[in-house]
Order: sequence, then C-alpha cells, then structure tokens
Amino acid sequence: MKPLFKALIILAVVLLAAIQTQAAEKIYVYNWTEYLPESVLAQFTKETGIQVVYATYDSNETMYAKLKLIKKDGYDVVVPSTYFVSKMGREGMLMKLDQALLPNMKHLDPELLNKDYDPDNNYSIPYMWGSTGIAVNTDEIPKAQITSWKDLWKPEFKGKLLLQDDLREVFHMALRIKGFSGNTTDPKEIEQAYLLLKDLMPNVLLFNSDSPRLPFLAGEVSIGMIWNGEAWMAQEENPAIQYVYPEEGASFWVDSFVIPKGARNPKGAHAFINFMMTPEVAKACVEEYGYPTPVKPAIALLDSNISGSRTIFPAAKVIQQGEFQNDVGQAIEIYQKYWEKLRTGD
Amino acid sequence: MKIADNTRFCIILLISGWFILFGVTPLLLLVITSFLTMDPANLVKFSFTLKAYSQLFIEPGYIIIFTRSVKLALTTTLLCLGLGYPFAWYTARMTPKWRTSALILLMIPFWTNSLVRTYAMRMVLGTHGILNKILLSAGLIHTPLKIMYTDYAVLAGLFYLMLPFMVLPLYATVEKLNFQLVEAARDLGAGAFSTFTKIIFPLTLPGIMAGCIMVFVPTMGLYYVASLLGGARQLLVGNLIQQQFLNAGNWPLGSATSIILIIFMAVMLIGYGLLLRRFSRGRE
Amino acid sequence: MNMLRLFYFAGIFFYLYLPISVLIVNAFNLNKYGMKWDGFTFKWFTAMLENHSLMEAARHSMVIAVCAATLATMIGALAAIGLNRYRFFGRKLIQGTSMTLMMAPDIILAIAFLVLFVTLGIGLGFWSLLFSHITFCLPFAIITITGRLQDFDPNILDAARDLGASEKNILTRVILPMMRPALISSWLLAFTLSLDDVIISSFVTGPSYDVLPLKIFSMVKVGVKPEVNALAALLVLLSLALVIVSQLMLKEKKIA
Repeated sequence: MKPLFKALIILAVVLLAAIQTQAAEKIYVYNWTEYLPESVLAQFTKETGIQVVYATYDSNETMYAKLKLIKKDGYDVVVPSTYFVSKMGREGMLMKLDQALLPNMKHLDPELLNKDYDPDNNYSIPYMWGSTGIAVNTDEIPKAQITSWKDLWKPEFKGKLLLQDDLREVFHMALRIKGFSGNTTDPKEIEQAYLLLKDLMPNVLLFNSDSPRLPFLAGEVSIGMIWNGEAWMAQEENPAIQYVYPEEGASFWVDSFVIPKGARNPKGAHAFINFMMTPEVAKACVEEYGYPTPVKPAIALLDSNISGSRTIFPAAKVIQQGEFQNDVGQAIEIYQKYWEKLRTGD
Repeated sequence: MKIADNTRFCIILLISGWFILFGVTPLLLLVITSFLTMDPANLVKFSFTLKAYSQLFIEPGYIIIFTRSVKLALTTTLLCLGLGYPFAWYTARMTPKWRTSALILLMIPFWTNSLVRTYAMRMVLGTHGILNKILLSAGLIHTPLKIMYTDYAVLAGLFYLMLPFMVLPLYATVEKLNFQLVEAARDLGAGAFSTFTKIIFPLTLPGIMAGCIMVFVPTMGLYYVASLLGGARQLLVGNLIQQQFLNAGNWPLGSATSIILIIFMAVMLIGYGLLLRRFSRGRE
Repeated sequence: MNMLRLFYFAGIFFYLYLPISVLIVNAFNLNKYGMKWDGFTFKWFTAMLENHSLMEAARHSMVIAVCAATLATMIGALAAIGLNRYRFFGRKLIQGTSMTLMMAPDIILAIAFLVLFVTLGIGLGFWSLLFSHITFCLPFAIITITGRLQDFDPNILDAARDLGASEKNILTRVILPMMRPALISSWLLAFTLSLDDVIISSFVTGPSYDVLPLKIFSMVKVGVKPEVNALAALLVLLSLALVIVSQLMLKEKKIA
C-alpha cells in the first residue's frame, strides 16, 4: 500500500503545481510567425505588468480553424489578413473594438483606415502591411532576367522554385498574368488561373509560409515568391538575395489586430493593441522584420537606409500597379477546390 | 468469480469506463462524423450523406495521395528491414556484455525527441550541411548534393526514426533462434544463401512481420517528417487529414479518410495474424 | 566476416549519431548557423533559459508527461491484471480497443480525440491533453505489464488464496511488488511517448497549455534558432539519463 500512497502524493503535488495559475495578469496573443519582436513583448510587460503568452501560425486558414474550435477562454489578440477580417466579422467571431481605449489610433495613416474589409474599423486595427513579390538569388540568376510573374514558369527553374503556402497569393500570380483581378469571383477566370498554375507545379521544389527566406539562405532555392519583409531580412544576411516587384503587379495585403469573441481579457487586449501603435514600438517592428507600418510618426524615426528601402516602402507607382487583397466571399470555395487539386495532384 | 468482490468490480468498472469513454467513443464519433455534411460555419450539419466517401473514391487526387503514402511507408519498411536485419543478427550473436551495449546504443537516439532528430537531419542533409561538407572535402563529389526537400530526405528521416522499431522485434525473434540448426545446415553443406532462405528466414518470420508492422503503420501517419524534410510539396495521407480538419474545415472528409485508413490497417493486421497462424501451424 | 560486421556497425552508428552530435556541437558553437566553428560559448543555453515561453512549454510538457505516465501505469496495471485474471463481459472489446489505440496512426487518434472533446464540450487545454495522453500510453503500459504477468508463476497466487488472502491483498502484497520492473519500464515508456508526442498534442491542446514539442515544431519551422540546438542537446542528455536510469533500475531484483 505504501508505494501506491507515495505515488499518489507525488501525483497530487505535481497536479497542484500544474493547476496553480500565476497571479500575474495575462493576455494570449496568436500571430504569424516572424512577426513580433520578443523585445517588444518584454517592453509591454514592463510597462503594463501584463504577461504575454505568445503562439504562432503560418496561415490564415489554420488560425481560423483553431479559433472555430475554441469558443471561450481563447486568444485575446489575433492577426488575420484583410479578407479574413471581413469573413470573421461576418460570421460574428470578432468583438467590436472600443476605440476610446485606443487613443494611439491618431498615429495611423488614414489611407489604411476605413477600408472595404472593415468600414469604420469596427473590428480591426492595421498592424503591418506589405507585398508579395519575387525573390531572386542574384549570385545564381541575374536580376535583370526577372521582371515578371511569368518568369517563374521558365523551364530552367524546374524543381528550383519556392512558393508560399497560401492559395490567394499563388492564384493572384496566375490571375494577374492572365490580366484578371486577384480578387475575382468569376469561376471561369479562376479556372484559367488554375490551368496556368498546373503547368507551374513541376518547377516547384517546396511550399513554405513559415519562413520563406530560409531555403534561400540555405542555398536550396534561388528563386521564388516571397513577402517583402522576408526578402529584406534575407538581404541583410546575404546581399545577393534581392526583391523584385513583378510588372503584372505584386499583391498587397494588410494584417490587422482583432479581438476574438471568446477573449479572456479584452481590456488587456485593447491595451496591447494601443501599445503596438506607439511610434517607437512600430519602429522596432519595421527594423526587425522589414514590413511597412501604418504608424506614420514611426517612419520619421527610422534610419534613412530603412525608410529609403524600396523593398520595405514601395514607390506609389508600384502600389498602383499592384493590387490589395480583398474578400471574395463565397467564391473562396472555388479557389479552395482548385488549390486542393494543385496540392494533391502530381 | 464472486460478484460481491468489491476490488474486482472496481477494477473492471474503471478499465471498462476509461476504454469506453476515451477509446470506443472517439472512434465511434469519427465514424459518425464521416457520414455527416460539412458546414462552413458550424463544423458539421447533422444530415446523413455519403458525400465524403464518394469524394475520396471519385477524385483521383486522393487516391494518388493514398498510394504515395503506401509507397513511402513500404519503402521505409523495406529499407529498415534490409539494414536492420543485420543489426539484429549480429547483436544476437554477440556475447551478452556486448549485446546490451549494442542495444543501448541503438536506443539512445530513440529516447530523444523525434522532432529534435528530424531537425538534426535537416542540418545534416542541407546544401551547406555536414554531409555535403564531408563528401566535398573528401573529394567524392564536386557540387553539393541537393537532398533537402526531396523524397530521399524524407526517406532518410523516416529511416532514422523507425529503425529501432524494426530492430527490436527482429532481435527478440533472432535471439530465440536455435543456432544449432544453422550450424547443422552448414555442416550438411548448405551455402550461406540457402541457409538463410531455408532456415533463418522462415524461423525468424514472425519477428520480421512484427517489425514490418511496427514500421509500416506509424509511417503512414508521420506526416510532419515529410513536411519538415520534404517541403510540403508531396502531400501524404496524414497531411490530408490534418488539412481537412485544420485548414479546409471539412470534418466529414477528414473523418472518412481516417476511417478508410483504419480499415486499410485492420485488413493488413488481420492478414498478418492469418499468415502468422498459418505459418506456425506449418512448423513442426 | 569480422570486417564486414565492423563496417556495418560503424556505418549504422555513424548514421544514428551524426545528426545528434552535430546538434550538440552546435549548441556550443558561437556561429548561429553552425556552418563553421566560431568558438565555444554557453550563451545559447542562457538564451534558452531566458526564453520564457519555451521554459513554460517545457514545464507544461514535464507535468503532463509525469502525470500521464503515472496514471497510465496505474490504470494500465489494473487493466493488465483485470484482463488477465478476470473473465467478464466486454473483455474482448477492451482488448480490441487497446490494440486499435496502439496501432492507429497518431493523426487518427488526434482527430478522434478532438471530435470527442468538441462533442462533450470539454475545453481544449490541460485536461483534454492529459486524458488524451493517458489514453494513448495505456495500451503500451498494458502490453509491458501483461508480459511480466504472464511470466508469473500462478502457483504463488493459488497459495496466497489458500492461505486466506483477500483479492485486495493478493493484488497489493503479491502481484504489484512482483510487477515492479514492468511498472518502471512502463512508466519510462509512457513518459517518453508523452514527451515525444507532436501530432496528438497539436490537435487537443489549447492556447492556455502550450507544450514543448509544439514549441519546438514552430521554432524549427522558422529555422535556425540556436536556442533550439541548446534545448536539443539537453533533451539528448535527458534521454541518455533515462536510458541509464532504466538500465540500473531493471538490473536489480531479478526474481530467483
């Protein structure tokens, strides 16, 4: 009987240690990988005393599925892309923001507020925006040769290509080549894009949305689709890796902070979002990851080599050439159907 | 069988309860879900349909994924068998002192977290990794081998993880082998090849089959090795199920895929059981 | 023949140990990418210890592993005894379920548990994780302990009953002590399985309870973080320790 007793006591102690919740206030933040510097989180805890429990995802779809499973006691802050903000807002998954708790909104670039996907910014506050274009390792491939999305289809790149694991962005490429909008809902246009993409598949070596710059840095790929921030980070390690805005138009996106309905600590969440809009914090984020920020005063604080970088801050002409991602509503199912075909086939 | 015996009753109640709640019920729910309809907003709608199953059989993509997974699992199994059998054989022939050391050395990697080992594999197989470094400096190759994100990388990783699962059951059987039979055969003039095929192989068949099952079954589900080393390029059954549940939100399809997988495994295991029984009946 | 044997073992062990050696060496390498040796340092270990979320996840994993191993061994011991000593309705069903749980690929168990917890309305977190881990470790515990039970001499049990021992006493005074090596093996096995689990944990845990394999997974996907090397080196050491401990504990007390 004695050993059994001992075992039970040990078990009880361990369980108690487990269940004992820390006294500190917490918020749970769910964000993209490589998107928020640890130093910023530490700074937030220092200023407010709120601890941040941080988890990451590599695609909107994963984040969405996880959120659907957790009805209460879930995440306090999540960072979806534009079209997911509208989707989640429509489905009632998001809490309305209390703008009185967000005084730092005054710092935000009005161009990025009040957009179609969230009029009046009821649900979201833009965190960072950016573009998706082409990355080239100029040691292997001369930069002059790469000017358009079509170049990725070149037969000499067979088995050498990296693509993002994101159906909207991959389809955007093909749709723009065909002259259609990246936000189209026309099934025929989407089908044409699919047929074009089918031809691309033999060129693809891997799909990666966690950290697309790594295969470039490791020398496994020398050309592919990439977010501008990842390209900028890669360039810092290896200047040969360069970012190209394709002539058919890069895809532009905005990632925003939202508070899901099941949030445990909405007040803490608001405090966090407000904190993220302070110019110094936004500056740190740009410096770390190379994505442009909607916080206007932050740009003035940056070094000239960062604020002048065209990889980070594109020229107005380039933005016009490109296209911002938007919600496609029900048509997403058509995209999904073809995306599955692309990924499972071969 | 005194029914009034309290201890016995409690024990039976506890184990039955646990297994029914956490063993039978989840699997049952899975079967039920596979017959429901997908509902984008609420996960599932309670309307009975065979749509999930029909999708699996009609769309060629899924069958391709399935065959690909089976092929990979089979290749891994054969690789483990081919390279693992000598290990079991040599180890069984060693003196007890060496035997324990050999087995311990085999087990230490096994007790290390499989993710960590897969990550280590990445560092070894990369273009700038250790393997290429060694081969380049030895002059065996002139340009680095591009192994990462190919099927070979996945195979290398799976072999790395699964080898002990093959060796241990094999070793258990080989150890029990009566080596006098082998020596008798040799005395009677049989060459190494026929000794192996007529004596050693048949007698160790149970171990071989156990090892194969222990490698084949988990490999069908170890999709994260494929995604870490294979670049998410080639989807396997495990990836498919995970995607259906986490990305596409199509629970009925994910459940149906799992059920088919279970049935496939069950068929294999039953086949294994039958072969084993038939084989042991054939032996004197 | 000897040369071949030597060559073979050298090859196999080289393959098995090269990756983890590279990891361990790089845990001390000043160079972040491990492409070349820049100098000896402990700084990745300190970085790892200062990474709060990593340490928290490690703590969570340890707790779950210890609890799951203990409970799985306890329930597994009872199950092994129950399945072997008693005949009751549903015995075959339980044995079959146990087999299925053991043989089924992790992904299937993962979604089955997910569906269960969602249906029952149990939130995803510590408890869902614990119950899942206990359940998938259980069959392994049962098999390990059953193996030992079957080696046992039934005459001893008959003798005990003849001497008037109650069922409870037979269990606690005769069977359990005799099973000690199997209980230890089963605990260690369950502990390792729980600590190693990636797939099931990724489906059934919630934001409040992050575990180590998931944390490592996200760090590994994002690539070269030297703290991962440091952590990996520690985990290898841990496994080494476990193997040694298990060997020592199993060596003592062989029943005559």
